[in-house]
Formats: sequence, structure tokens, C-alpha cells
Amino acid sequence: MTPMYDTLADLLITRFQVDAGEIRPDVTFEDLDMDSLFLVELLVVIQSDLGIKVSEDAVSPRDTLERAAEVVDEQVAASTQRS
Amino acid sequence: MTAIAVTGLGLVTAAGIGVEASWAGVCAGQSAARRDPALAGLPVDISCTVPGFNPAEHVGRRSVLVHDRFVQLAIAAAREAVADAGLHPRTWDGARVGVVVGCGLGGVSTWETQHRVLLNEGPRAVSALLIPLLVPNMVAGHLAMEFGARGPNLVTATACASGATAIGTALDLLRAGRCDVVLAGGSEAGVSPLIVTGFAQMGALSRRLNDPAAASRPFDADRDGFVIGEGSGMLVLERAADAVARGARIRASLAGYGATADGHHMTAPDPDGAGLSRALRGALAEAGVGPGEVDHVNAHGTSTPLNDAAEARVLRESTGRRAPVTSTKGVVGHTLGAAGAIEAAFTVMAVDTATVPPTANLEHQDPTIDLDVVAGQARKQRIDVAVSNSAGFGGQNAVLVFTAP
Repeated sequence: MTPMYDTLADLLITRFQVDAGEIRPDVTFEDLDMDSLFLVELLVVIQSDLGIKVSEDAVSPRDTLERAAEVVDEQVAASTQRS
Repeated sequence: MTAIAVTGLGLVTAAGIGVEASWAGVCAGQSAARRDPALAGLPVDISCTVPGFNPAEHVGRRSVLVHDRFVQLAIAAAREAVADAGLHPRTWDGARVGVVVGCGLGGVSTWETQHRVLLNEGPRAVSALLIPLLVPNMVAGHLAMEFGARGPNLVTATACASGATAIGTALDLLRAGRCDVVLAGGSEAGVSPLIVTGFAQMGALSRRLNDPAAASRPFDADRDGFVIGEGSGMLVLERAADAVARGARIRASLAGYGATADGHHMTAPDPDGAGLSRALRGALAEAGVGPGEVDHVNAHGTSTPLNDAAEARVLRESTGRRAPVTSTKGVVGHTLGAAGAIEAAFTVMAVDTATVPPTANLEHQDPTIDLDVVAGQARKQRIDVAVSNSAGFGGQNAVLVFTAP
């Protein structure tokens, strides 16, 4: 998996009390009992810890962790191109 | 009047986690107050916090993320109370189960932490969970989720009387037939730097900083303020006929409730104690007992000079010198919105075990207080009628009367 996937997994374990054993690329946020409110909180943490701004509608609870990591990477790439 | 039964109890206090540990601590009369490293550098740095409370262990792994501490303490106490009542959410009709919880402050630690984030890191770093963590009504909401309790659900705020107000409100709900079971109590986790400083600035807290275990000393001549505490107390209440029908053990009956306002001052009690006196007489009348029949009083007894003097006058005039009085705040401190519920649970235990706990640190009883305040050792005696007093800043008074079943 990508470095961003590993970073995301680490945030879920340390900040969201997700059991490490539940984390897999194909697991969705819904599978982890994380609804849209938790997802917004995850985006707040990503912004404050990693300095990456991800728009609220870019990730949904039905997305897998692998997909979420890709979205975050896409946002980084987009903001790099803009600057 | 429809008889109301107390069939379950749950406690999380500075004296211990669980009813057994809390009651043993209170009966031993040893104050739980300590220096608190989280308050270092503040004008007052002593508190009665719950020792060894681990939210991940006592509530659940994700609790640290989704619950402020006042909710964590409530969930732990409520689980014990429901189990103690021999009830299980799988077997009850959740639509007929109410929840009423007293809380004076809400999620103040969350508030303080996130305000710091706002100032230091800016608005984008503020938690999306700030509001659901801090609003005081969320404690009742979480208990509804925890137990599938989908009847009346509310939080009462009458400052330091909140927990007693919640239990009195539950009595009314049961008598009105609005539900069949109520989980009623109080919870507070107000030992935060800002709140403690606020109480210190008012002059409400004891300054006996070098001897914390002696700081909370209700009715003692040398009392100089309260020690802030945290905790939760929960009662399961049902109509007595329902409790008998299902073969439940009844620990005590909740026989009367009195609620009044002083209409006098923001923080000082009415020096004549007229409001508290009316609440006490009203509660006793509802219970159908005379003031002279009271066998035990669990006093509000905060250890502030003003409260204890005013309350003692009310007790002397109404219940006389016969009833042994105690203030369990000597051991567990003043838990603000939880106090009325924690003390209600202790009062039920007093009735159930025929024991009056001692008032910690009562070495030289204030000579102006002409009451039989129990000092030193717990006193074994039959208790048919027991009173629990509560009074809050704002002049709100709530008195509960418990009787032997």
C-alpha cells in the first residue's frame, strides 16, 4: 500500500480507536462504524496533523480506506499543481 | 400516592468505582481529596477525582473519542444500576423506559480543550465532535442509545441540586404514567482548570491546600469551603407494584419530593433557609411522615461556612435533634450536578443496610450547629425514613424522602 494509506491507518488506530486488526485496504468507513460525522472529524485531523485540506464531499462512509488514501493523495497533487 | 421503588443503584465516585467500593469508602469516613497534578499552579489544586477510571476499560474502546468524561462516568454508573435492578434492555419495552439525568455544567473539559485549539491552531483544527461532546443533554441521549431507552429523555440543570431534581422529576414521570421504568441520576466531571479557578475566585473552595484530606469538613467549626469532586450516581426507579410483580429486590421506596426556589441571591443561601425548609416539609408531607419521624438526614453539607450554617438551622427547626445527620461530601467532595444523585444513592444504602455513615473530618462540631452529626464511625441503626437535601446556586432546592420498603 501507499505511504498515505499507512498514514491514514495510523490515524485511525491512534486517534479514532479503530482496532488495528480491522484495518484493510478494502474495508469501508461504514464497516468501521464511522459515519459522516466521524469522517468530517477525520478530515479535521488530516488537516491539522498533516496540513492537507480535503473537501467534505470528497470522501463518503461507503469508500474504502484504499480509496480514501487515493483521494487524499489526489488533493495533495491538485494543491501542488495550483501552487 | 403511587409508591415508587428503588430497584437498582450505580455509583462512580472518588471513593471508588461501583456501589460497593463507594459505600465502603463513605462508611470508612476517609476523605478522598488529594493534590491534583492537573490543577498545578492554580489558586486551588485539590480535588476528589475518581481513581483508576479508565474509559476504554470501563465504558468502551471508542468512548475516549465520542464521550466527554461526564458521559463516561454516567454510562459506567448506569450499567451498574440497570444490572443491579435485574433488568436487561433486551427484555424491556424501551418505549416505556425514561432517562432523567442531572448535570450542572456539561462537557467543560472538551470546551476548554477545543477553545485552546481555536486560539492556537485556528478554526479549521476545531473538532467536528465539539458540540456532541459538550452539550449537557447528550448524557441522557447516550444512555438512551446504550440501553434502548426511548421514553422521556432529559437533563435537569439546577446546579448542585441537579441530581436530586432529576430523581424527583423521575418520580413525577412514573406517577403520571408517562413511562414504567426511569433511569434517574446525575453526572458531572467539572474538575477542569477553568471551572476550579472560577469556584476558587468566588471563595467557595477550601484553601487547606497542604492538608487536602482534611479540607472537606462539613459542619466542623474549622470548615472553609468545599472540595470539588466528580462522579455519577444512578437509580433505577419503578412503580412499586411493577417491581413486586416482577419479583425485583426493592432497596428502598422513593416516597416524597420537594422542589422550591429561594428567590433570594445568585449564590448565597437564604439565611432563614425558608426555601429549603419548604422543600423539606413538602417532601415529608408527600411521603406522609411528620418531621419528627425522620431517622436520618444526608445533608447537602458542602463544608462552606454559609451553607452548613443555614442548612443546620433548617434541620434543627424542622426535624429536631433526633435524626442523625451526615454529609458524605466529607469523603467524596462536592460533585456539583451529580451530588444530589450520589447522595440519594448513599441515602438508599443507609436505609437498605441500616447504617449512617460518618461525616469525614468532623473533629470539632461548629458550636452553633445543634444537630446530631455523626462523626468518627458509622452508626448502625434501623432507618425507616431518610431525607436527602440538595441546594444549588441560583437558589434551587430539592429534597428527596426515602423510606424502608
